[in-house]
Amino acid sequence: MEQHHNSETRTPLNSVAVQRRSKTKSYRLSYRSGIGAASRLGFTPGLTARRLNTSRKAPKSNNITEKVTKEQLALLVKTEWKLSYVTPLYQFRHTQLKSYSRQLSAFIAAEKQQGLAVDVEGTQNRFRVSFSLVQEMTESVDDAVTVFIQIHSKPLIVRQDEPQRPVWSGWLTCINGNLEYLRSLPKDFICLPLFCSSEAGGLTSVVKSWFQQSFDCCFGPLEISHTSLQWLMALWTNCHPESSIRQLKMIWTLPVEPQLQVTYTVNAEDAWQLWSSVRKENTAAAGEENSIDIEEVTSFMQGLKGHFFRHFRLDLSAGRLDEVSTALGSAKHSGRIKFSNSKYMITTLMLLTECALLKMPI
Amino acid sequence: MSRGFVYNILFRTGIVLSVYIRMSLLKPFSKLPGLNAANILLVECEEQFQKSLADALVEETAVTVYVRLAKSLPLPKENEESRPRIDLVVFIINLTSELSFQSAEASLKYLDPGYLLGKVCFMVTNARNASVPTERLDAVRKLAAALHCPLLFAEDQTPDGVTYATKRLLSILKVSAGLVPMATALYLSSLTSCTVPPDIDQPSFD
Amino acid sequence: MDESKKRLVQRLIRRIPTKMLKTTLQKWGHLTGEQHRAMDSIQSKWALTESLLAICEENELAVKHLTELEMIYMMDNPDQGMWYAFQLTDPGDDAQSVDLMQFKEQFKSHLRELVRQVSVKIKKHTDEAVWIRIAWGDAYSRPDHLKPTYVVHYLQTPYVFVTRLNSKQKPMLFQAMVLSTRYQYFKDANLSGRNLTAIRDLLMRKYQQVFPTKYPSPLTERKQTVTNPHVEREQAKPAANRLQMACEAFGGGTLPQLQSAVYKLETKFRDHTNTLMTEREEPFRCVVKFSSTNLLESLKNCASSGIASTPVTPLLSSIPLKGKNYFVITDNVPGPSSQMRQTQN
Repeated sequence: MEQHHNSETRTPLNSVAVQRRSKTKSYRLSYRSGIGAASRLGFTPGLTARRLNTSRKAPKSNNITEKVTKEQLALLVKTEWKLSYVTPLYQFRHTQLKSYSRQLSAFIAAEKQQGLAVDVEGTQNRFRVSFSLVQEMTESVDDAVTVFIQIHSKPLIVRQDEPQRPVWSGWLTCINGNLEYLRSLPKDFICLPLFCSSEAGGLTSVVKSWFQQSFDCCFGPLEISHTSLQWLMALWTNCHPESSIRQLKMIWTLPVEPQLQVTYTVNAEDAWQLWSSVRKENTAAAGEENSIDIEEVTSFMQGLKGHFFRHFRLDLSAGRLDEVSTALGSAKHSGRIKFSNSKYMITTLMLLTECALLKMPI
Repeated sequence: MSRGFVYNILFRTGIVLSVYIRMSLLKPFSKLPGLNAANILLVECEEQFQKSLADALVEETAVTVYVRLAKSLPLPKENEESRPRIDLVVFIINLTSELSFQSAEASLKYLDPGYLLGKVCFMVTNARNASVPTERLDAVRKLAAALHCPLLFAEDQTPDGVTYATKRLLSILKVSAGLVPMATALYLSSLTSCTVPPDIDQPSFD
Repeated sequence: MDESKKRLVQRLIRRIPTKMLKTTLQKWGHLTGEQHRAMDSIQSKWALTESLLAICEENELAVKHLTELEMIYMMDNPDQGMWYAFQLTDPGDDAQSVDLMQFKEQFKSHLRELVRQVSVKIKKHTDEAVWIRIAWGDAYSRPDHLKPTYVVHYLQTPYVFVTRLNSKQKPMLFQAMVLSTRYQYFKDANLSGRNLTAIRDLLMRKYQQVFPTKYPSPLTERKQTVTNPHVEREQAKPAANRLQMACEAFGGGTLPQLQSAVYKLETKFRDHTNTLMTEREEPFRCVVKFSSTNLLESLKNCASSGIASTPVTPLLSSIPLKGKNYFVITDNVPGPSSQMRQTQN
């Protein structure tokens, strides 16, 4: 904490610090308090009535591949991202990315050099930051455009033939964010609640603190809850006829001493058959959106657990679902996600955006 | 509040009443109370937190506290003779485990509805754990609210957490055992029972 | 100096932790007191390598001496990598009379008949185990001492434990083993683990077994810790029962350390609430893997704590009972005899 305060004075970002004071009032308004919490006895105000959706659209092979360029998609898939939520960014401008790149690289340099003053255009800056937009990766018109950030470390000896690998990459996105909430935000706020980062070194905290200081936002870890993991299992399995999931894998941890881990891998075709057997009769007329209910997700899980119990007389409900994975992607309870197939990314991101919005503090 | 009212609650919560006839039902008033003594029954499927709670509860000096530990209800018949009158039944639910909630729910069927007049409470652990889906906590809240029981949150990993949880249980126990003048279990429960926000099921999208 | 010798020394020094090097070298017994003291004073791995190489030159030690050093270390520290258990079946009349000398000779000659370039070293361990180190070569190359296979066999028993064996070498080892032990067949015991002693104990039943009894066993009584007289466990009896059954299934005391068990399930999906799946003809294919630092201990705890229902299902209790940790489960219909079947109910 202490360190962040120091770096603020070191880096040329004074303007932000001045602006901050003027908008504290509107900051209170958040997604969760939107309903107006009643303070009845036995009712904790911190717990609101907002919950994860109990029904969502079946993933359709999204036209994302047509809209977003291949190069940009390639950056997002096949990497395991660590998830965080971010509160709305104050005065973030999608048009200022060039200047942000400069500011962030100067900030990193300052952090790395322990407070020495550095010239923004300085030649000795080892880190090159690039901000870019992932255009068209949105679900509704109110979603802010996804921002992708890469940090390259300039090698001491530059070799022409070798492509440089980024030392850090991350992105902020909002896919199908709640309209009511997005529209309730004051004018100067941009909501990109889902922050994904991937790195080897310790740059994430530096990037986060730059965002915190520049846009007066705050970050927090985003875990993927049991319910969300179940949702992902169902949503992915639902894609099987169009794009093979190869297998459905679940990893459970049971609370015994020493800890017992159960890896339950189901044949793709059989998982799909079980999934279709628990699907309710689809009454929607042709052309209408195919939707999935939480009841179906729960009975899918029940079916899988039941089959397991029938053999081992061991109740998986006593344990915790830690990880689910298919050929389309993998998700871990600790808040790590990997997209292996860009076609169905949007659905997953919609779920994660929702989780991020729910996890934001009041 | 009458018994009829309690049955009404039970119908609403879908708890089967047929088991009421069975002998293994735990009843609140079938025995006489002990002098300056209180009996508490801790029901926990995982049998973890109940041990540390029990050790802390019996430390109480103002009244003699007897603790009975159970994994689930019904309680074994052979203990019926030796078992004193239970003044408070506590269902401990570990939110990280789905089974823990399911087990508590199943145990409720073996409780005389008379207990629901202020002699039952729910104690939840691990509510802040990130892996816990909010839906699970909602289910516990709904259950506690439907049965008009208090819902307590506890921290089971630290000694302080155990101490606080013990204190809270003791204050309820003393009332439900009739050891606090001018206070009755029913009166206390009408003040402390859990309520659920009316819009708990509202989805985040329209 | 010979390049292969140099690489073997490098590898040995890299693998043997510095604090174990001293005792290992002493057991080896090829160094003079002076050389021992010199080796003790060196800290860095690189310097140790150089020093040992110099000693080899000086004492005229060859590759065969170095392989002996490796064997000494391996026999003292067998828990490295995966060990696979195999079982010899259908013993011949003279199988019981095979002694160490006979076995040594025959194994070496049989294996040499099959592979020309092979280096075999056989040593008897203190616990009756015969340790075999095989460095394989082929028609074009000399034996590779950097990737040796280790085989542990207990004479007069059908059990063989193998580590670092590739599928190409498998048939040759099997044949040499069958011929020199006077058995007919050699089959996979479907048991593997990182801990050699554990899988040996499991197969040879050298762990504490608990048998059903009507009387309260000392086991359950020990578990009941004396607590405050004001605290009473209502379900102490069922808990004691669960513990007893858990011990009957998995054994008492310290259990052999097994890391995992794998079940390949190809059974019908049965669920009375799901007629669609229950009526399906094909089996529901899935693989379940249990893993833990001590699997049997974890499973025992599952049963005693009630997470797993008691009595323990034969599927789980088969791990210690049959000494296996890989199972293929099909429904109880005629099928290959190697499969474990599940009763339908």
